[in-house]
Amino acid sequence: MLYMQRAELMDKDKLTQKWLLDDLNVEEAKAFEALEEASFYKDIVEGASQFKASNYSKMDDFETFKKRMEASETPVQKLHWTTPLLRIASVIFIAFGAYYFFLSDNLLTVQTKVAEKTTIELPDTSKVILNAGSEVAYDEKEWASNRKIELKGEAFFDVAKGAKFEVFTEKGTVTVLGTEFNVKQRGSYFEVACFEGIVRVTSGNETKILKVGDNFRLFNGEVISGKHTFESPKWTNNVSHFNRIAVSEVFAEFERQYGIALTLENVDTEQLFTGSFMHDNLENALLAISEPLGLDYEIINTDTVRLSMSGK
Amino acid sequence: MKKDLYQNICEETIFASIYNKYAQTLHDFLYYRYGDRLNPGDKAQDAFTKLWENCKKVTPDKAKSFLYTTANNLMLNEVKHQKVVLKYQTESPKGYTNENPEFLLEKDQYYKKYQAALSKLTEEQRTAFMMNKVEGKKHAEIAELLGVTRKVVEYRIYSAFDQLKKELENFKVK
Repeated sequence: MLYMQRAELMDKDKLTQKWLLDDLNVEEAKAFEALEEASFYKDIVEGASQFKASNYSKMDDFETFKKRMEASETPVQKLHWTTPLLRIASVIFIAFGAYYFFLSDNLLTVQTKVAEKTTIELPDTSKVILNAGSEVAYDEKEWASNRKIELKGEAFFDVAKGAKFEVFTEKGTVTVLGTEFNVKQRGSYFEVACFEGIVRVTSGNETKILKVGDNFRLFNGEVISGKHTFESPKWTNNVSHFNRIAVSEVFAEFERQYGIALTLENVDTEQLFTGSFMHDNLENALLAISEPLGLDYEIINTDTVRLSMSGK
Repeated sequence: MKKDLYQNICEETIFASIYNKYAQTLHDFLYYRYGDRLNPGDKAQDAFTKLWENCKKVTPDKAKSFLYTTANNLMLNEVKHQKVVLKYQTESPKGYTNENPEFLLEKDQYYKKYQAALSKLTEEQRTAFMMNKVEGKKHAEIAELLGVTRKVVEYRIYSAFDQLKKELENFKVK
């Protein structure tokens, strides 16, 4: 009798918590079942099973896996080809929505991984500096007559004078005639900055002409035109600079440059950040983003850093 | 158990046993954490392929952490900040045949809401909750996979449930 009463008197939340963690004795279990919300709660846990991963897909059995490995004579080489092909497929698929073109099979694709930058020279001596976690694809053979390049991510273009040069991204197209400009497309964020010459940007229904020092920004459907004051984008000098950008994008770029995961605790990802961080010193870079935002950082291991609201 | 340390995972039978032991769970973990859009199956496959390529350098006791680290890194290289979506089964596993349309509609709305609620959870909350409640993994094991303590896992399961509870509030039967 005494035990029963104690279990019933237990705080409802505490009881629920114990039930959730499979930590109930017999009396507590009875008390839980007596709760008004018991069936609602049980439905939630049962409902989770409708999302079971193995209903979505299952891994092949070992024999099938083995056959696949054996089929690729030189596994290392084969693997490198598969991933770019998969990526080309996804770049074109994304582009399909707005830009129905680019159907040549002979696309040359260059990708950068996390924490990697690279410079590419195009057949007409135009240069592309590709930022981390980005990808371009273009038709090498057709380049002389058709300067069309697809971009996913961020790149700086130094275009040799000549025929029309077009950069296609998921969120907009940039057209130039021989100039220097930076294009950044990450998720729903699209930004073009002109550093030399004239650039025409088309995105959805908007068309804008940019001259030296002009900046076009589109984020979540909102267009902001403005100016920038740099001679070339900061990231090409290993610094990422932001001017009133949502911190979610700042963190995303941080993860891209350093190849680590940022775990956030109580951080408002919608605040705007103005400032910069360098690419070659993790601690300084962490200080640079955490201080202004009033955050603490904690390096958990080589792959993970936790950012949390300070002063708890 | 000591024998383990000297076994070469390049040997097919040993690699096969590692594959059979970890493949589906790795897949499930990636699916719960990152959703269906980033090809959890492919990434899991790629992780095993990399293990195969590095079989000389990895001992059996290190195979699991190698697989999880590799798979997570492959995920992080993909486009970030995509909304995580888990798919749900539309047919009832119990095979009710006499449900009226109204009930079916409500069930469907419930699961749509549930799906949205799962997307809103943090990766860690969602993974801990699903691995425990759907896959029956113990708290200690989940803690090992996520690289945190058991207490943290329990906290995440409870936070996840709390969120789901709030989101599904309207479906409570009076």
